[in-house]
Amino acid sequence: MISVTPTSSTAEALDLENLTSEQTAMEIRDLNLHYGDVQALFDVSMKIPKNRVTAFIGPSGCGKSTLLRCINRMNDLVEICRTSGEIILHEKNIYDKDVDAAALRRQVGMVFQRPNPFPKSIYENVVYGMRLQGVNDRRVLDEVVERSLKGAALWEEVKDRLGDTAFSLSGGQQQRLVIARAIAVEPEVLLLDEPTSALDPISTLTIEELITELKSKYTVVIVTHNMQQAARVSDQTAFMYMGKLIEYADTNTLFTTPEKKQTEDYITGRYG
Amino acid sequence: MNHWFKSGKPWIWLTAGAVSISLIAVIGLLLMIAWRGLSFFWPAPIHEMEVQTPAGATTVLIGERYETEEIPVSRLNESGVFLEDYDSPVLQRYLIKVGNREYVPLDFTWVLEPSIVSDTTPKDLAVIERSKDGNFYGYPVDVLENGESVLSSQSNLREVLFERIERAVEFNEQAMDLQNDEISTINYQIEQLRLERRRLQLEGKLTAAEQDRIESEQAQLRADYMEIEKELFALRDQASRDAVVMRDMRGEEVTLPMYRVLDVTFPNDMNIFQKWGHFFVQVAKFVSEDPREANTEGGVFPAIFGTVFMVLLMSVLVTPFGVIAAVYLHEYAGKNIVTRVIRIAVINLAGVPSIVYGVFGLGFFVYMVGGTLDQIFYPESLPTPTFGTPGVLWSAITLAILTLPVVIVSTEEGLSRIPSTLREGSLALGATKAETIWRIILPMASPAIMTGLILAVARAAGEVAPLMLVGVVKSAPMLPVDGNFPYLHVDRKFMHLGFHIYDVGFQSPNVEAARPLVYATSFLLVTVIVGLNLTAIGVRNHLREKYRSLEH
Repeated sequence: MISVTPTSSTAEALDLENLTSEQTAMEIRDLNLHYGDVQALFDVSMKIPKNRVTAFIGPSGCGKSTLLRCINRMNDLVEICRTSGEIILHEKNIYDKDVDAAALRRQVGMVFQRPNPFPKSIYENVVYGMRLQGVNDRRVLDEVVERSLKGAALWEEVKDRLGDTAFSLSGGQQQRLVIARAIAVEPEVLLLDEPTSALDPISTLTIEELITELKSKYTVVIVTHNMQQAARVSDQTAFMYMGKLIEYADTNTLFTTPEKKQTEDYITGRYG
Repeated sequence: MNHWFKSGKPWIWLTAGAVSISLIAVIGLLLMIAWRGLSFFWPAPIHEMEVQTPAGATTVLIGERYETEEIPVSRLNESGVFLEDYDSPVLQRYLIKVGNREYVPLDFTWVLEPSIVSDTTPKDLAVIERSKDGNFYGYPVDVLENGESVLSSQSNLREVLFERIERAVEFNEQAMDLQNDEISTINYQIEQLRLERRRLQLEGKLTAAEQDRIESEQAQLRADYMEIEKELFALRDQASRDAVVMRDMRGEEVTLPMYRVLDVTFPNDMNIFQKWGHFFVQVAKFVSEDPREANTEGGVFPAIFGTVFMVLLMSVLVTPFGVIAAVYLHEYAGKNIVTRVIRIAVINLAGVPSIVYGVFGLGFFVYMVGGTLDQIFYPESLPTPTFGTPGVLWSAITLAILTLPVVIVSTEEGLSRIPSTLREGSLALGATKAETIWRIILPMASPAIMTGLILAVARAAGEVAPLMLVGVVKSAPMLPVDGNFPYLHVDRKFMHLGFHIYDVGFQSPNVEAARPLVYATSFLLVTVIVGLNLTAIGVRNHLREKYRSLEH
């Protein structure tokens, strides 16, 4: 089967069914989602382990991006969207009425498919989240900028021109800037929605290396079209199809010995 | 032929032709009003003509050639004028501005070309610009001081004349300054004291002590006033010491008091540089001086000031209001039938004729809102209204409502052009919707907001009809901004270039004299609007550059 060989999974495989609460960053329980009359997710349940990279793969329209956007409630912005089920963060359902979505999104950051820097300077882009929290002390902000840009492997390239507009950066640099912006507010979980699909191969490689580094501090969830990428960067992979979670396993296992026929068909390129 | 049609070339010609016609129309309009308006300031030569009257006698005319017209002889014959020895079917006639309004029955007169016996432009002919009765054309003969001639055999008449005029103009200016600053301030303070007394009376707090205080202050102000008035009279006496004797076209010598003389020029004796210099001085006077003689002479400064001030006030009012409304419509309002109906209603508001807004402004703002404000805050000056009468504030608000749809529509358009990825990016960092709007969306929509403002300014600056109901007057004694607290007097009436054109062109007692002013004022109005627009466009381009988002 095997056009795809996992290479990165140095972390030892976890028993994903029976994670302890210390090992779990977030847990999704029986999540259903409707866009108007159309159901987009069916009874999805999974545990996302801490400080590891989890990849969602599947054909277009399978609901992997939708699932990702549920994790920090970005789907709230879609008026016709209804969810049922639970997503647990720190033993609390994030869909409870008393949860503040803005506060949740500070804990669960997100990076989008296309680089979306704000029309501000590089510096102001990185400190945007801090300023929202009312931090305006120049020294604190300077530190945050340096730490975040280093964390996103961008510091060396931009340290002399932090005042330039963010649009002066290349696409790959912009995407790393967006990652720096997301980690500046020190989230616990970082959601990456096809972060390299708009980038060239070299930028993609840089971002992939960055993702591997990020997991030491953050729990990373990545949606990708690209199976090689999933194999390279993730520790465990979830395969989704038609809004259902088909198989969720250690990346090595999933790519080498998938249990389900649908998974095998997909990763061998028989459809998708 | 058929092939030519199929090739699509006719279509290109048609479209290009439409563009050309529009261009020619715009450029032609600008050139026409610029030429007609600006040539008014050019020092025209003064002609001295001998003209044969129908009775056979000859008279002398001195004046500027104002206009040339070609008319058919048959029309002349029908009106009872017959020319001998004239074969051509058409002839030319000239409109001559002879000035000297108080000495001749008409200061403009038509002259038929064949009846001119001789036409010269002597270098000694002078045109005297006066503060009353318009221009005077003639030969300067003598300069008087207290009725005695000051010319000696060596002195040059022109030099003495220039010198004396300069002196008189200076005293006149000092007198004007005194009147406009000190005297108007004292008048203002006396009025304030009267109002204070009335207010205390209404509130029942007018004690004997208060009354004494007010009366003593009033007495002090009156004493000050008497002092300044003495000074003023002294200045006026100084200014009227001299006089100039002129010989006019009737051959009579006329004594003109110097305090009414503003300027003297000898246009027939000017070289091209002097003419250009004179031209620019005249243009500068036009834009910086107050009007005289029922607006037919002098400058238009109060009208320029009023127009710009009113438009700025309107911009300050309409922008925040329009932007906030657009943000609600686009960001918060549910996407349903009600929102759609509201949006259509807003767009249709732009199509309501402006005079209707004027009527609304008069009924609602001036009488209802203004009248109520007067009763609550200015009971002491009633029955004289303060805000319950047309004024610059009501004009600005009325035009703000008139231009509101424009701002709302273009702001909404700007809001919808902002990529949703940026909103999501901001929200994903923990921003609330309000924070996202305030920090990301509005700055990025600012070029579109400026576009709305540009359209609003362009519409408002040219609007006259509603203003006639809610604040514009033919002649405002005071500007809406002056040195008396609170410095900004938005309750005052104001002058406006658009209304000035209408007033000078249609309400003027002297149509011929006013016509070039109509062109000059039109040109100025266009210049002011273009100036305001260019400023706004400059700001918008700066903002666009700043918030230029990557085109994905």
